[in-house]
Amino acid sequence: MTRLRALGRFILALLRELADENAYHRHLAAHGCAHSGEEWRKFSEQRLRARYQRAKCC
Amino acid sequence: MSLTTSAPAAASSGLKKILGHLLWAVVALAAAFCLGAIALNRGEHINSTWLVLAAACTYALGFRFYAKFIAARVMSLNNQRATPAERLENGHDFEPTNKWILFGHHFAAIAGPGPLVGPVLAAQFGYLPGTLWIIVGAVLGGAVQDFVILFASMRRDGKSLGQMAREEIGKLGGFVALLTVLLIMIILLAVVALVVVNALAGSPWGAFTIAVTMPIAVFMGLYLRYWRPGRVLECSAIGFLLVIAAIFGGQWVAQSAAWAPVFTLSALALAFAIIVYGFLASALPVWLLLAPRDYLSTFVKLGVIFLLAVGIIFVRPELELPAFTRFTDGNGPIFAGKIFPFCFITIACGAISGFHALISSGTTPKMIAKEWHAWPVGYGSMLLESFVAVMAMIAACVMHPGVYFAVNSPAGIVGATPAAAVATISSWGFPVSVAEMQSLARAVGEQTLFHRTGGAPSLALGMAHIFARSGGGQGLIGFWYHFAIMFEALFILTIIDAGTRVGRFMLQDLLGHVHPALGRTSWMPGVLATSSAVVLAWGYFLYQGVRDPLGGINSLWPLFGIANQLLATIALCVATTILIKMYRARYIWITGLPLVWLVTVTFAASWQKIFSPVPRIGFLAQADQLEAALRSGTVATANIAPTQTLIFNARLDAVICAVFLVLVGVILIDSVRVWTGILRGTRTSQVAEAPFVLSHLAAEEV
Repeated sequence: MTRLRALGRFILALLRELADENAYHRHLAAHGCAHSGEEWRKFSEQRLRARYQRAKCC
Repeated sequence: MSLTTSAPAAASSGLKKILGHLLWAVVALAAAFCLGAIALNRGEHINSTWLVLAAACTYALGFRFYAKFIAARVMSLNNQRATPAERLENGHDFEPTNKWILFGHHFAAIAGPGPLVGPVLAAQFGYLPGTLWIIVGAVLGGAVQDFVILFASMRRDGKSLGQMAREEIGKLGGFVALLTVLLIMIILLAVVALVVVNALAGSPWGAFTIAVTMPIAVFMGLYLRYWRPGRVLECSAIGFLLVIAAIFGGQWVAQSAAWAPVFTLSALALAFAIIVYGFLASALPVWLLLAPRDYLSTFVKLGVIFLLAVGIIFVRPELELPAFTRFTDGNGPIFAGKIFPFCFITIACGAISGFHALISSGTTPKMIAKEWHAWPVGYGSMLLESFVAVMAMIAACVMHPGVYFAVNSPAGIVGATPAAAVATISSWGFPVSVAEMQSLARAVGEQTLFHRTGGAPSLALGMAHIFARSGGGQGLIGFWYHFAIMFEALFILTIIDAGTRVGRFMLQDLLGHVHPALGRTSWMPGVLATSSAVVLAWGYFLYQGVRDPLGGINSLWPLFGIANQLLATIALCVATTILIKMYRARYIWITGLPLVWLVTVTFAASWQKIFSPVPRIGFLAQADQLEAALRSGTVATANIAPTQTLIFNARLDAVICAVFLVLVGVILIDSVRVWTGILRGTRTSQVAEAPFVLSHLAAEEV
């Protein structure tokens, strides 16, 4: 049961990483600010600009 | 006292060691037995479990012994050395990340349509050549390339492949790498767009489903930006449910007398629609269409790959295609050419892919917490990607060979009518009937399954077959077929829109040296001009593929394969240079052997694609044959202009192939010059690694 829970936690963490939600929380922590629509838009724009300047794999 | 307590501990440790050795001996025997079974089996159907076990055991051995040897002896990974993620942590790009999360992240980034489509096309030789290349190529080539480039980038503060080529080989190397990537992007975008076009042409169900994903993506974009900012998982779950609803909606549309004709589009109409879409996606704000589709596509991709793995293990289907088909002689209907070199360029991403080097020198090296994490992330992720390719091979080979060839063969080869197609395919020794094809088409809700080239429809058929047998029965095969088509089209379109944008940035980067304003990403005329240039470039090749009587895949897929493998050649040149500079010259066979193999394969394939006297293989021979037909007056007046276009296209493809060869030849000669200089002592051996900094990050913190 503990292992199943650990697996569940890992999958959720992976999904959050892929969804940039973890990166957003790191961004909030690094800049000492609280979540808001404006802050998300600021973070998202920086993140996406960097992401789509790199080639996507075939 | 310590002696009495340590004796049992030592005995226990010795026992563990023996058991470990025994376990690996069993794995090695199992790998040899399974590989032998699939290699030596003739005349009988083989169960897919043999392929799964052969792959899994070989990967385990490669990971445990070969990769660990490279990590410890060659690269001397050191967990005491702080990685860029620790030294340069900034909460954005540089962030120490748990190794398994990073493994998933890296795998999601390298997994594209290549490992799915390539094996399906290469199955025309039979299951054996492609499967062996996928397994051996990944263990000795692809995973090594990804691992060494990841290591090199990690030791250089996350520098890109182009930057490393410039610093380690020379300025010329860096420029050539950038230009090669731009050219490869253009061919890649054209070929994957062609795969989507061929999958959706004449399919109202598929066309409707994919069309609806665009408003769904816009809805998700608005949802994320204004209504529930930051809730990406929640938004993607809603998007996924809407896409599933769209698949059911597509079934209704296909059965509707009023709506079916609206969504029954020709290949040409679809090609233009995708070209317009590519332009819009490149010029529109990224949050509106591209990003939400990308999030959704990533989750769907991982979910489907997982489902396919479970399905194959659960169903254990038998392979209907033989180990070798008669098309090893080079006369295959899907693409022309013999196993060597064409099998090895058709399957690129599942065995070795140059594009992975761009990912391994992109985000991933900036997120590695400990140097030893590069072992599972760099080497292990590629093994998983290779396993995806094995699954695609299985999905292609579970179909009856006659059905496989009827779906994948272009009208120009097997005949335009169903009767002509089944007669040709049956005469090859792969019996199939019109009734069988019609029944299958009805079952999956399509008007016809003949001439559906490109690999995506046959992969979807194979996947639907496996999914339907896993649960839901044959009644749901239509849903599963369109689910698989949706999955393939969704992430191919993500590559098209993201790739067009990336191509635009690269072009702006290059043109910025000529006219600074063109390099500014905020200058709208520059954005529009460069977006148009990139879209027109790949759009032209897409148009060429759609109009090609041989189906387009015959010319474009080998071109893409050659380009991708040439990029791998550049990556391996960089990797070999770095090993020599690290005084590891005695280990250069690790990157040198795959490099020699790739140079042999890609140069042989390029040479044949340009100069082969067989018109279906050689571009110049094809142009000459068409020109002779024009001169002899056997071409109908209405076909003169299209034939002239075909002649131009064949010569253009020959020139593109030659340009690739020259570019890679330049970087190869430049690299050899550097290597010999260092080995002879006429050149200094200076690595551009970041200096050693002691790590303070505890393993348990990540």
